[in-house]
Amino acid sequence: MSGHDSKYFSTTKKGEIPELKEELNSQYKDKRKDAVKKVIAAMTVGKDVSSLFTDVVNCMQTENLELKKLVYLYLINYAKSQPDLAILAVNTFVKDSQDPNPLIRALAVRTMGCIRVDKITEYLCDPLQKCLKDDDPYVRKTAAICVAKLFDINAELVEDRGFLEALKDLISDNNPMVVANAVAALAEIQENSTSPIFEINSTTLTKLLTALNECTEWGQVFILDALSRYKAADPREAENIVERVTPRLQHANCAVVLSAVKMILQQMELITSTDVIRNLCKKMAPPLVTLLSAEPEIQYVALRNINLIVQKRPTILAHEIKVFFCKYNDPIYVKMEKLEIMIKLASDRNIDQVLLEFKEYATEVDVDFVRKAVRAIGRCAIKLERAAERCISVLLELIKIKVNYVVQEAIIVIKDIFRRYPNTYESIIATLCESLDTLDEPEAKASMIWIIGEYAERIDNADELLESFLENFPEEPAQVQLQLLTATVKLFLKKPTEGPQQMIQVVLNNATVETDNPDLRDRAYIYWRLLSTDPEAAKDVVLAEKPVITDDSNQLDPSLLDELLANISTLSSVYHKPPEAFVTRLKTTVQKTEDEDYVEGSETGYPETSGNPVDGAASPAATTGYAPKPAAPVPDLLGDLMGSDNAAIVPVDEPTTPSGRPLPVVLPASKGQGLQISAQLTRQDGQVFYTMLLENNSQSLLDGFMIQFNKNSFGLAAVGPLQVPPLQPGASARTMLPMVLSQNMSAGPTSSVLQVAVKNNQQPVWYFEDKIVLHALFSEDGRMERGTFLETWRSLPDSNEVQKEFPGIIITSVESTLDLLAASNMFFIAKRKNGNQDVLYLSAKVPRGIPFLIELTAMVGQPGLKCAVKTPTPEIAPLFFEAVEILFKA
Amino acid sequence: MMISQFFVLSQRGDNIVFRDYRAEVPKGSTETFFRKVKFWKEDGNAEAPPIFNVDGVNYFHVKVVGLYFVATTRVNVSPSLVLELLQRIARVIKDYLGVLNEDSFRKNFVLVYELLDEVIDFGYVQTTSTEVLKSYIFNEPIVVAPARLQPIDPAAIFTQGNKRMPGTAVTKSVVANDPGGRRREEIFVDIIEKISVTFSSSGYILTSEIDGTIQMKSYLSGNPEIRLALNEDLNIGRGGRSVYDYRSSSGSGVILDDCNFHESVRLDSFDSDRTLSLVPPDGEFPVMNYRMTQEFKPPFHVNTLIEEAGRLKAEVIIKIRAEFPSDIIANTITVQMPLPNYTSRASFELEPGAAGQRTDFKESSKMLEWNLKKASIVGGGEHTLRAKLTFSQEFHGNITKEAGPVSMTFTIPMYNVSKLQVKYLQIAKKSSSYNPYRWVRYVTQANSYVARI
Repeated sequence: MSGHDSKYFSTTKKGEIPELKEELNSQYKDKRKDAVKKVIAAMTVGKDVSSLFTDVVNCMQTENLELKKLVYLYLINYAKSQPDLAILAVNTFVKDSQDPNPLIRALAVRTMGCIRVDKITEYLCDPLQKCLKDDDPYVRKTAAICVAKLFDINAELVEDRGFLEALKDLISDNNPMVVANAVAALAEIQENSTSPIFEINSTTLTKLLTALNECTEWGQVFILDALSRYKAADPREAENIVERVTPRLQHANCAVVLSAVKMILQQMELITSTDVIRNLCKKMAPPLVTLLSAEPEIQYVALRNINLIVQKRPTILAHEIKVFFCKYNDPIYVKMEKLEIMIKLASDRNIDQVLLEFKEYATEVDVDFVRKAVRAIGRCAIKLERAAERCISVLLELIKIKVNYVVQEAIIVIKDIFRRYPNTYESIIATLCESLDTLDEPEAKASMIWIIGEYAERIDNADELLESFLENFPEEPAQVQLQLLTATVKLFLKKPTEGPQQMIQVVLNNATVETDNPDLRDRAYIYWRLLSTDPEAAKDVVLAEKPVITDDSNQLDPSLLDELLANISTLSSVYHKPPEAFVTRLKTTVQKTEDEDYVEGSETGYPETSGNPVDGAASPAATTGYAPKPAAPVPDLLGDLMGSDNAAIVPVDEPTTPSGRPLPVVLPASKGQGLQISAQLTRQDGQVFYTMLLENNSQSLLDGFMIQFNKNSFGLAAVGPLQVPPLQPGASARTMLPMVLSQNMSAGPTSSVLQVAVKNNQQPVWYFEDKIVLHALFSEDGRMERGTFLETWRSLPDSNEVQKEFPGIIITSVESTLDLLAASNMFFIAKRKNGNQDVLYLSAKVPRGIPFLIELTAMVGQPGLKCAVKTPTPEIAPLFFEAVEILFKA
Repeated sequence: MMISQFFVLSQRGDNIVFRDYRAEVPKGSTETFFRKVKFWKEDGNAEAPPIFNVDGVNYFHVKVVGLYFVATTRVNVSPSLVLELLQRIARVIKDYLGVLNEDSFRKNFVLVYELLDEVIDFGYVQTTSTEVLKSYIFNEPIVVAPARLQPIDPAAIFTQGNKRMPGTAVTKSVVANDPGGRRREEIFVDIIEKISVTFSSSGYILTSEIDGTIQMKSYLSGNPEIRLALNEDLNIGRGGRSVYDYRSSSGSGVILDDCNFHESVRLDSFDSDRTLSLVPPDGEFPVMNYRMTQEFKPPFHVNTLIEEAGRLKAEVIIKIRAEFPSDIIANTITVQMPLPNYTSRASFELEPGAAGQRTDFKESSKMLEWNLKKASIVGGGEHTLRAKLTFSQEFHGNITKEAGPVSMTFTIPMYNVSKLQVKYLQIAKKSSSYNPYRWVRYVTQANSYVARI
């Protein structure tokens, strides 16, 4: 070949396209090849060369594989935009799929599968069928993946043409590469289908375990991951599987090692013999440690996984803490993860070594790392009672270096240590007070003030110290104000002398009159009333013994931990979030009914990201559950920005309701200073819940969550307090808050607005608006007799009937629609045909026992749904229509 | 288990290669990625972690010779698979192109696309073996001038040190022929050890670790079988002993904590006579990776003294001593030490007659830097640096807490601390006249070599 490819990138002065066109039609082969290269070069830098389609396709018929591949590459890119011209390529494709050269056969099938144009797909089936049975393994392995491609375009076709069976046959292929691809394709198809397609039974298990030994490294990962879904029948089978998998731990490929670890951990759950378990733990330790010798990127993955593993099985790495000591040149993301694991592995035995390390880290350059190291010392103190004193002396040493952020961080953790070991270490307070003036971070200030208030009786000049803070009371952040208020009250209760009395006047005045923070005001009023009615009672309340805090280094909830451990060696184990919280690949099959006759129509497969804007907007919502919308009557700009009107933007984390649908974000992190709340009203077993997901993306711990609902049209209120554990930075918590109806009714017209306030100890109160989804309120006893239905319908005046049309909604089958509605307590009464339209009648019951009669008219498979309701309270009809929209788009 | 897209971006964020396998990630993912990586501030960490999620798309990246190798996906894939894949793609492309840089990519984009189509199908990895790929790849590489190459691998360190080493050989493409049209029959076996040592302030060893690799690159025709014999007294596994109780290194041989092997390696006789047999595939690959925490003699001893000298002054003395035999020469050595951040000036004093040494005080990062050129450090040698510091304010408390630790980087060719050796390298081939070049090379490099003060 002459010259360099990069010359193809150089642009010509004028008329590049016509020039290329001429060259593509040249009579000289080499010239044509060069021209195609130029076209591809233009394509890769984003120029539109689709107008050359015909000319490029003309070069397709060639014996030259190099040229053929280039043309194919071009076709994959542009066939979609030129579907009518794409048909020009079909003949060559079909011919190529029968070429004596296996490379050309495979290339044809591989490329056809990548072109998502119906006309091409039609012609793909026959060649694919042949290629799945081809003599050449390269062709078969390419065909196996092609079945997954076809399933993605048209699942029905795959089932109808029996490709699934052919694929399953390939599991027994004698070529391991073919087996691996067949497994990968089946696993993907299974993932997107509700019917059992690829179930691992003991026969496939044996086959796959055998193939495992001969596979390429990547194939081993496919197979191990497919097998990890297999549940062994008994401990003996589990042991057998583990025995076959254990040699994989020696593999040089980290992905193989981690997949093997996952598989072993899973089977260990079933194994009962403690000897076997101990032995396995021993075998897993060295390979896990070896992962830390890989590139830092891999180390990061390994550390995130190890973090989970040591929470479940601390013994595995109990003696290896040294390998988690930070190296000088570790990237910061590796160092941070190592610190976490060091805390988890810290024990009475190694704490001296660990403290020595932490102390060293606390004098490094990176501020975040230093802070985390200081916190780590505190966490060890809380975790290991016998080491607490040593931890404190290290913290004091650090405070003496007088690096501002170290001091502040140390004070924050010392406050926690005081809470863990009350009345034990007050002797150090004097040292802490020396740094009082340098505190400028709210959390540190608040911590120091808490300490002063808590130990006011032992600090001679506690009043002076607090007074120094009081001067700037109005300017302080809420967190500091709240602590100042409480600390002053404590001081007053402990030393009811003149000074504190004056102080309390100032504080209460400031906190009630001068502030517009409702928390501060409410707390101040409570103190005020307590103090004025019964100071002794105030003492009992304010100075009551506080519950002792515990070590939070194993902070993951056990059920979440188990879920994450089942997901070792997946992204889930890196994010420490369950897959449904971030996997946004659009799935249509979730809502699919089990109905055998259910036809998987055009909607199967994934909406094209490049689809037209209207469809694009609707489809992700239609598949991943409805996305946040601006709260109904009050337009909310932020809601709009966050909303998913754009198909391309899917929220980072899509938490899900128990039914598998993601919760809409009601308070985005951008608005909540890092706190993100997703929530929705849900119904389960006859009870209305406010299902919430709180995610702490801020830098600090958030605790003391409380919730309040404003008056609303249905009088929805919480039954009890909000149960949310303290959230570490990066942590999240899910909760279902039981709700009651008719508790705090608002006057005025019925509205779906639900105003909510959520607060915590660290941040201002967050107010957000949610929407009451009516179908969460439909009660289980809404089924009506036919007779009663007719009677009620007739008895209501026509003015009580409200209608609305939904041109965008398509009913795909009557049955699935009824199932969908029944799941939300809308009960089927009757059905009739009106021409080619189906008319459905349903009943439901809204709160306070008010009946709700529904008539739905639609043509199956055609867009357009007419919806009429009749009810004594027609003012809630608009809410019902919103609910319909939500349900059918879901 | 599949990825959606693969792309390579330059340091400036330019698109060098872009391939979409599944059309499920919205346009603009390259920009989204680059912006996120460049301005990673979420946790205050300047450096973005290798995996993150933006708007439902998961981004994976590794950096190779300053280029970003990136994959995206929407599903819950195995992250180690994707990251490993990215590294392997870099290695395969390097095998083909000889050198990996923006220039070689641009000159060979057609070949790169051809490779990518064989490496990944519909987002699933097919193969990353250069050997296997050879049957399916038809484009020939255009090799860029090795003069401006940026080496990707540790093997390139051989180019610096020793004239005997044909260092450029490992930067030639596995498929391209030498200018004469004939390939030279040769095989390289490199034993590369990266060592991490942390010395306490009193000079004893807190932690030490060796991460070793036996790397092979074969240019032998006809893929003959190779036998590689290691030390006979090689032991694997510390028999459940923890890192705390070091076994005394008296005559118990080389003890590896753990090791793993390339899939081409057969271990039939490994247990009996510590030999590995394999048919090396084309391209560069690790035959064996190993890890060792057994005590070893650190190649350098570092002694640091920092002393106050008045209210606004202090003196630092750093002494390094080479603890290896005198026939060994260490390559470029850099010693670094962070100074207190109120240091305003540092003046240096080298020992009389010192040659090839350079000192620097980096004002912005308050970093002391001391470079010793190659050949100036011979085994057994000792060097001292004195630095007088001037402070802009009085220091409070303990000055040793605000300076240090001292860290070192170095490369020592033809030396390995683990004592692991390739006793012989046997190439099975019938003809008696067949005698290809065999290069067995050792090198020790500092990974994290730190002395606390």
